[in-house]
Amino acid sequence: MSSSQCLRSFFQLSLDRAAHQSIASRSLLTTPQTACFSISASRCGPPPRKGMIAPPKRGERTLNVKKGKGARAQDTSKRPAPGERKAQRKRIVLSNNNALEVPTLQDLSKETVLKQENEGQVKGLPEAVVDALRAVEAFKPTQGWRLFRRPAILMRRQTMQLVELVKQVEDAGKGAAKQTLRRVLVGERLCGKSTLLLQALTVGFLRDWVVINLPDAQDITNAHTEYAPLPGSQPTMYTQDTYTANLLSQIATANGPVLEKFQVTTKPSLPVPIPSKCNLKQLAELAIANPEASWPIFVALWNELSQPGRPPIMLGVDNVAHMMKDSDYLSADIKPIHSHDLAIVRHFVDHLSGKTALRNGGIVLAATSGSNSPTIPGLDHSIQVAEARKLDPENVPQWNPYKKVDQRVVDCLKDIEVVRITGLSKEEARTVIEYYAASGMLRAQVTDPFVTEKWSLAGMGNIGYLERAAVRERI
Amino acid sequence: MARGELSRSLRQALEALRSFSRPQCHRIARYPPRSFRSSTTRCMSTSVPRRAELVDETPEKFAAAPPIDFAQEDGKGSGNGAGAGKPVGKKTLRTLRVVPASPSYFSAKPTFTDDFINLCALLRKVATLPTVPPSEAPKVAWKTVDQYRIMTNEPVKTQRFHKMIHILRRLNCIHPSLIPDEVVQAMQRYKKPNQPGDIKPNPGVIDELGRAKGVGQRKTSSAVAWVVEGEGEVLVNGKSLAQFFGRLHDRESAVWALKATQRLDKYNVWALTTGGGVTGQAEALTLAVAKALLVHEPALKPALRRAGCITRDPRKVERKKPGHVKARKMPTWVKR
Repeated sequence: MSSSQCLRSFFQLSLDRAAHQSIASRSLLTTPQTACFSISASRCGPPPRKGMIAPPKRGERTLNVKKGKGARAQDTSKRPAPGERKAQRKRIVLSNNNALEVPTLQDLSKETVLKQENEGQVKGLPEAVVDALRAVEAFKPTQGWRLFRRPAILMRRQTMQLVELVKQVEDAGKGAAKQTLRRVLVGERLCGKSTLLLQALTVGFLRDWVVINLPDAQDITNAHTEYAPLPGSQPTMYTQDTYTANLLSQIATANGPVLEKFQVTTKPSLPVPIPSKCNLKQLAELAIANPEASWPIFVALWNELSQPGRPPIMLGVDNVAHMMKDSDYLSADIKPIHSHDLAIVRHFVDHLSGKTALRNGGIVLAATSGSNSPTIPGLDHSIQVAEARKLDPENVPQWNPYKKVDQRVVDCLKDIEVVRITGLSKEEARTVIEYYAASGMLRAQVTDPFVTEKWSLAGMGNIGYLERAAVRERI
Repeated sequence: MARGELSRSLRQALEALRSFSRPQCHRIARYPPRSFRSSTTRCMSTSVPRRAELVDETPEKFAAAPPIDFAQEDGKGSGNGAGAGKPVGKKTLRTLRVVPASPSYFSAKPTFTDDFINLCALLRKVATLPTVPPSEAPKVAWKTVDQYRIMTNEPVKTQRFHKMIHILRRLNCIHPSLIPDEVVQAMQRYKKPNQPGDIKPNPGVIDELGRAKGVGQRKTSSAVAWVVEGEGEVLVNGKSLAQFFGRLHDRESAVWALKATQRLDKYNVWALTTGGGVTGQAEALTLAVAKALLVHEPALKPALRRAGCITRDPRKVERKKPGHVKARKMPTWVKR
């Protein structure tokens, strides 16, 4: 509205008011039109001069070339290479040069490992066994091996139970009737289930058994390796070639000295040519070069090991709950594949359930895990039943029939036996704390009150917490 | 009226005045023997009693002056011609002067002044009695200045009141076996109705199975612990200490009472804890275990107090207020 027009309207307003006083209140013009008199020209102003640009809007990125405090710190550090972080996370360190050598530490050997006197003592592991255990991935990154000069184990009460089992199998092996013993290792978190499995594998290696260990059932079922249906299987089974090849190479490395002694006696029909005068180690190593033939090679190796006159077998698996549920693999019709339909898992589960016996005798061990394990109601129930059956065979808990349960899990764990791992006794705790002190990792006088205090704070001798309280989290 | 008459009557009046220097009552009645219970000192008060006073305190006894026998007064002067024919007692009434019982009646704070003077006199009297150091004197909760103001209905200054409290504390320091009864009576007036140590908790008992129970609270958690003699086993809500508390710090807190007194290997603990978070539950357990341990060994109380296992920490989450973002945080200030 131009200024002249404004003035006109103003005059009109004053005239109207004088003329029609009665309608003055209703007239639209009575509304004050003060805006008409604004002569400010904000919109008509000159464009902003250079150098007076408005600050950037919020969230807008601007170039900041300031030095000093206001400047954003540029992160110029080198990024880790792909896989480097994972390698660091999974790295297994088995020695600590800063820890002291314990002079009283004695190694286990083939002769001494079965002796009853070892109970409650800390024993060192021989070099060859350490290499073999490392090959089968029995050491876990969360365990405290990196704190001590060299790996050593405490022969606790449950260890002696397993040693007894080994003795039993070997005694039975001398006769005609071979024995297959099956156990599930259970216990609360950090109580040493994986370590107990490692101790059993140690005994197996020392006694020249063939040791086959599945380091973590999760790796088999979490769909990280390729899979393919096994031709001619009914119902369909699935093989994992890469995983099986890796497993065979682990078996060949860890059990090399044992497998080298035996020649291939059967005539396995394999898709790859077998060299003449082939021993079992060479047979297993065939899979490294030919992963696609790894499952037939595994079957052939197993057949060889089942021949009479071959050593007993120790089968171990850790984190067994992962193989008691549907795997992450999908079948051709987009249905989840049950873990028991995977060939390796089926092979293991058949032995764990007792469906297939080990021809030369042996032990099948499955360790549960307190962390990173899915809740499997069937597994928990089976463990409860097994423990109740041990106490009183008449009075075992029944599964609630109105709840769903994975029947394959219940069936495979139907008559399993359980090794319950409890806390250390005070004497065992004292031994292990003395070992910590002798290694120089614990700087305190080992007295009875001190041992009891650590024992109590570790939840009545839970060895994982005991190690944390005494060595790792010391102040 | 003849000239001689006037002079005579004046003389008579003077005589009468001389004979009744306090004409309204007998001297004995006017000045009752002073006792150190100053309940009778206040004869008159011109101020209106306050409601709070009536509710809280029993008002002090009001002793009225004895009635004046006018007939007797006038009978003395009936022989004079001056009093004849006039209404009875007029003369006495004219000569009447009301004198308050307390000499400090006309001061601003008569009751307080009387109290103070009485206590000073009492202290002078018992000053030579043997005393105990103030730390060993019996613990007394004296009335606050506000309570005293309400009781006396006088604007007592805080500083003066504290001077009086000093005298009372000195009186309280007299050796308890020698303290005179009148001092005890006098101090009673200045004590609060409820004294510390009046309410004593029932002593804990060890039941037939050797268990002692203790209860503790912290933040919004509460814990009950049963302590028995044993080897240092601990179960919290049916789980072991390591299973229940993930942090080592919390595990140490839970059994701190035992650890601080080197008793961890001598007792077993079975505890239940509810509410709040992990740290709150652990620290509630500290108090519960300490209380149960005290039942077994009462002599450990100073050691446990030094370890911080006796005092309940009363802090809780402060409530959120309207207009605030949290308890105290205000919304960000915006210009428009």
